[in-house]
Amino acid sequence: MKRLPARFELLTLALLGLAMALWLGWQAPARALTPRSYDQLEFGPLPEIRIPDFERYQLANGLVVYLMEDHELPLVSGTATFRTGSRFEPAEQVGLASLTGEAMRLGGTTTLKPEALNEALEQRAASIETRIDTTAGSASFEALVDDTEVVFSLFADVIQRPGFAPDQIDLLKRQYRGSIARRNDNPDEIASREFEKLVYGADSPYGRTMEYATLEAIDRQAIQAFYQASIRPEQTILGLVGDFQTDQMKALIDQYFGAWRGHGNPLAVSPLPTVQQAKTGVFAIEQPQLTQSYVQMGHLGGQLNDPAYGALSVLNEVLNGFSGRLFNQVRSRQGLAYSVYAVWSPRHDYPGLFVGGGETRSATTVAFIRAVESEIDQLRHAQISAAELARAKDAVLNSFVFNFQSPNQTLARLIRNEYYGYPADFIFQFQEQVRTATTAEVLAAAQSHLKPDQMVILVVGNPADIEPNLATLAPDQPVITLDLST
Amino acid sequence: MLALLVMICLLVSLAPRPAWARQAPLVAQTIQPYLDRLTEAVTEFTLDNGMKFIVLERHQAPVVSFMIHANVGAVNEAEGKTGVAHYLEHLAFKGTSRIGTTNYRAEQQTLKAMDQLFDRILAAEAAGDQATKVKLQAEFDQLAAQAATYVDQNKYGQIIEQAGGVGLNATTGADETRYFYSLPANKLELWMSLESERFIDPVFREFFEEKNVILEERRMRVDNSPIGQMVETFLETALERHPYRRPVIGYQADLYAATRQDVQDFYDTYYGPGNLTAVVVGDVDPEVVRSLANTYFGRYRSRPTPPPPVIDEPVQTEPRQFTLTLPSQPWYLEGYHRPGLSHPDHVIYGIIDSLLVDGRTSRLYKALVEKTQVALDIGSVNGLPGDKYDTIFLLYGLTAPGHSPGEIGTLLGEELKRLREQPVSATELDRVKTQARASLLRRLNSNSGMASLLAEYQAKTGDWRNLFRDLDTIDQVTAADVQRVAQSLFQPNQRTVGQLISPLPGSTQP
Repeated sequence: MKRLPARFELLTLALLGLAMALWLGWQAPARALTPRSYDQLEFGPLPEIRIPDFERYQLANGLVVYLMEDHELPLVSGTATFRTGSRFEPAEQVGLASLTGEAMRLGGTTTLKPEALNEALEQRAASIETRIDTTAGSASFEALVDDTEVVFSLFADVIQRPGFAPDQIDLLKRQYRGSIARRNDNPDEIASREFEKLVYGADSPYGRTMEYATLEAIDRQAIQAFYQASIRPEQTILGLVGDFQTDQMKALIDQYFGAWRGHGNPLAVSPLPTVQQAKTGVFAIEQPQLTQSYVQMGHLGGQLNDPAYGALSVLNEVLNGFSGRLFNQVRSRQGLAYSVYAVWSPRHDYPGLFVGGGETRSATTVAFIRAVESEIDQLRHAQISAAELARAKDAVLNSFVFNFQSPNQTLARLIRNEYYGYPADFIFQFQEQVRTATTAEVLAAAQSHLKPDQMVILVVGNPADIEPNLATLAPDQPVITLDLST
Repeated sequence: MLALLVMICLLVSLAPRPAWARQAPLVAQTIQPYLDRLTEAVTEFTLDNGMKFIVLERHQAPVVSFMIHANVGAVNEAEGKTGVAHYLEHLAFKGTSRIGTTNYRAEQQTLKAMDQLFDRILAAEAAGDQATKVKLQAEFDQLAAQAATYVDQNKYGQIIEQAGGVGLNATTGADETRYFYSLPANKLELWMSLESERFIDPVFREFFEEKNVILEERRMRVDNSPIGQMVETFLETALERHPYRRPVIGYQADLYAATRQDVQDFYDTYYGPGNLTAVVVGDVDPEVVRSLANTYFGRYRSRPTPPPPVIDEPVQTEPRQFTLTLPSQPWYLEGYHRPGLSHPDHVIYGIIDSLLVDGRTSRLYKALVEKTQVALDIGSVNGLPGDKYDTIFLLYGLTAPGHSPGEIGTLLGEELKRLREQPVSATELDRVKTQARASLLRRLNSNSGMASLLAEYQAKTGDWRNLFRDLDTIDQVTAADVQRVAQSLFQPNQRTVGQLISPLPGSTQP
């Protein structure tokens, strides 16, 4: 029977103190007794952004650890990030990384059957989840503070001694087969998947898709081998946030992760796959049952550490957002779409996308595409207005505080930066880039990074109702119809 | 005899109450102080015009989340006027007589003229007079172009974004319409100014353009979505007269014929201050909130309490079913009738829901996904499409390759029978109770999450404290309670089944 921890009383006092400091800190301007219009209001300054205290250290086995205390609630959580990814799986076994990621959790451990692991967690309202995506893998846990050690030890077991129970692997493979069967049920999914295939290439690690044949080629042995190569202490960053004392948590980490060793050879994670745009042109996927067209249009993009990232973020604001050019023109003025967007969407360590799109009824497909093309064109030929620049900067800079809403959010960013080799203060560099952006810079960025002659335009819809037809978009090239058969 | 009765009454009242006869789980004890602290951090007040405010202080970061919960949804719409609540939600972003216009006086004239023309266009259509219609349409288009010149597009949203607002959005459901966003903490007064102005003096401009947007939305959510069509048909089948059977997005014909006056009338009836609940969560001083609320929202004149919807759904006495053949892998839907959230057994439906579908230890996951592998996934909607009034408890599954929806139905039948005939284990019940408490705890560090939750409880149950009382009620639920409710809920004669199947290979599309 636990007594209320003494630190709770300190916490209450601390909160009161904080509240008072804020109250004294920003004197609200002469309290409004008369209501004022939004443009008559003046606002006090926000307090400076404060990064919570944290500690980073490394174990002898190479495991990097970040610890950040957060005593607001009696919760503890953590995420281990693994240097792996589906971009490293063999081409004949697309789906291996994803399967391995899920199987780590679903397959139980060497000492606990899957069902027993599920019960041990859910009975305590705790969770452990694992996954491997394109550029990284992760294992995360959440627990109520009283269950910290129990759940943390299970977490260590799942990471270091997964059971890969054969019946669970069979179950997962069946589910994956099921997802292949269902992947054309949703036109949005078809559009984004096939668009990436066109831009990156069907064989590229960034565009390829899992098929029945590649799934069939994956067995338990392959999963175990990929796991061994991927999940190793020297390739892992562990981050913990929550209601713990740092020195006590360090002791637990030492106890449960100190003896961890990798086996066999590590995954070869460099060099990263090369990337170039595979196709250009106009493409169609026929879905005669649709009354709307689902459009994706764009080309290869860039990385976050592109020097023009700040200027391109301003461009994103000008195009998208509530009073962006696309919302105003394509949605509100012309009523062409419920959703429309065109975003510079970079990645950390490989070229992302510039991708626009939305949905519109079949008859207005070409008008919709032309409207988006027109907006892109305008950005490349004329500077945005000073007012647009100011609004875009304001939107980014005034909402900057939302990047620091919780210790969890801040810690995740620190780890992400370390994982991808970005400077720890990257987000502040970005803030400065935006703050100093000029309309000339934005124009230059649009001209160098938006490439209308490199466009892929993909339309998922009913060609019979698309009038004028798609051929009018590219008179010099045939419209290519793609087949979706699995 | 009387003495005996008195003694019995006394004994009964002195008898140990369920609360301390069973030891509360350790978890509840650990969590309780945090829930108590939350309660202490809440301030509430009601303006003279009846508008209710709840303020929750949370000073972890200099940000604030806001929610305005209008106690009105699709359930309040009239037959033939479906979609109006949602339409109004869209139009609530178009500004006011001061925000979003370059010349309101001129604009107002043009909008009036457009409305009159639209009425005449509809009349010409109804009379089959194509020639008149074409002529009127041309005039209408000219006026629309004129009206567009007076519009400062999306000004309202732009002000919020420029101020650093995030998460600007709104939702319309069967029971409620919600408007929300978050701002840096130094801009509390901006929210007060904008929101009070927008709800006191909305101008439903770009009415006809927005109609097209909503028709696109309907196409996206229903016409081009097999599961969207399934849900719409399901509600029409499971319910005969209940307003819940009508889609929130509205029917295409109703939307086409909707007028600005329809939206205005709906707004006048349902958006009085007494029908709104405002919640502010984050880095604020409640006294400052109160003062500003009085200054800004005090201007809102009260209106009569709107009438409640008429619900006269006859009891279902026979099973119902339907099948749709659409280009999609199969789905299976099964629904039963449950009472609204004011029913004393309300939390027990949530417990049954959790036992059946929550997590990998849930009954349906274990039986249908893991053991027999008939379903790829299973899920539920406890209160489709809402829960203020008598509603539907829905279970659904996606078939695994090589299995049919009917197989899901059979297995589901076995699990529901088990629930009716055998009391659930203490372990399972304990698990669900622990998870309910932990789940609330985990929401406490989200300003927007808490704003949403507090608004919902206040508006739907009359007291935000029921959020915590529900937890206590959950703690006292016994296996016998669960069995009793399962028996009244899962009655075969009250079941509606919907199956979504794929067309046979080579067949033409319907």
